[in-house]
Amino acid sequence: MRIIASLVLASMLLAGVALAGGATKTYGKGVAAADTVRVSALLANPDKWVGQTIRVQGKAVDVCKNRGCWLNLASDVEGQTVRVKVTDGEITFPPGILGDMVIAEGVWTANKLDLETTKKMCEAQAKQDGKKFNADEVTSCKTLYQLTGTGAVATKN
Amino acid sequence: MRRVRKVCWTLHREIGFLVVGLTIVYAVSGIAVNHAHHWDANYERVAAPSAIAPPGAGPTAEVEPLVLERLGLSRAQVKTTWRASPEVLEVFQEGSTWEVNLVTGQAVHRTARPRPVLFDLNFMHLNTGKGPWTVVADLYAGLLIVLALTGPLLVRGRKGLAGRGGVMLAVGIVLPLAYAVVMRLAH
Repeated sequence: MRIIASLVLASMLLAGVALAGGATKTYGKGVAAADTVRVSALLANPDKWVGQTIRVQGKAVDVCKNRGCWLNLASDVEGQTVRVKVTDGEITFPPGILGDMVIAEGVWTANKLDLETTKKMCEAQAKQDGKKFNADEVTSCKTLYQLTGTGAVATKN
Repeated sequence: MRRVRKVCWTLHREIGFLVVGLTIVYAVSGIAVNHAHHWDANYERVAAPSAIAPPGAGPTAEVEPLVLERLGLSRAQVKTTWRASPEVLEVFQEGSTWEVNLVTGQAVHRTARPRPVLFDLNFMHLNTGKGPWTVVADLYAGLLIVLALTGPLLVRGRKGLAGRGGVMLAVGIVLPLAYAVVMRLAH
């Protein structure tokens, strides 16, 4: 009986530790890189940064709805966003992160898509935006730039 | 051998009781997250459309207070706002988001509520919280190995390893092995 009571007590302590949290939340390895690159500067010349470990900062304005495996951060220029993609299961961004100020770190990557993949991506985007899509209008391949994220820190506004 | 079997019985019985709760946690969540590409296993999402008087697509500093006023929100209730496009302003609150078309006045209030029970089961199964739960999960995995190793030794005879039990054991081993081989060949 004493063993059972101890197990129940240990479980309750564990739950207490798990529930403890603050206004700042760290995801994955957090952030450590020295300088933050402005999103507008990054998007103005994206090829310059490919392969480099960088840090970006912005409001979280969209998040992966199925697995929490990506996050869009708003740029310092209205309407622009940058995507932070993390490995499925390693880091999960919850819906509650939307609107928080996020600093994310990772390697800036460029994925050159073929035409077929570009069309599929444009179709998915059009579907999400509720817009009409015509595959024939997509005639050139896209390069998808994103931060392959290793960690992030979110602060509630 | 009799002494070994007795130890196996004891271990299997005691550990069996201990892991009932954890097994249900991991099994139920396992089914839920196996189908993560079909549904959101963690959150229940609701989109409620409504409309406000269109504030117009003016500068953000001008339209933002109008939008908040027409949505009936005070500044303290709002985390932040974002001008997603010239026509759209998004308003972020704790646990919900408003998407407002500034030209038409159409608004959608999107909320994401953690699914009762399932959210917590997935949190444990995927070890999202890390920290102390990693120890619990590792211990549980170890106990499952003990259960797996002691189980086949519990029964003797036709229903044991020498009979039907042996066939079942072989099936359970061949299934993942065959899948692993097929996957390797396919990739």
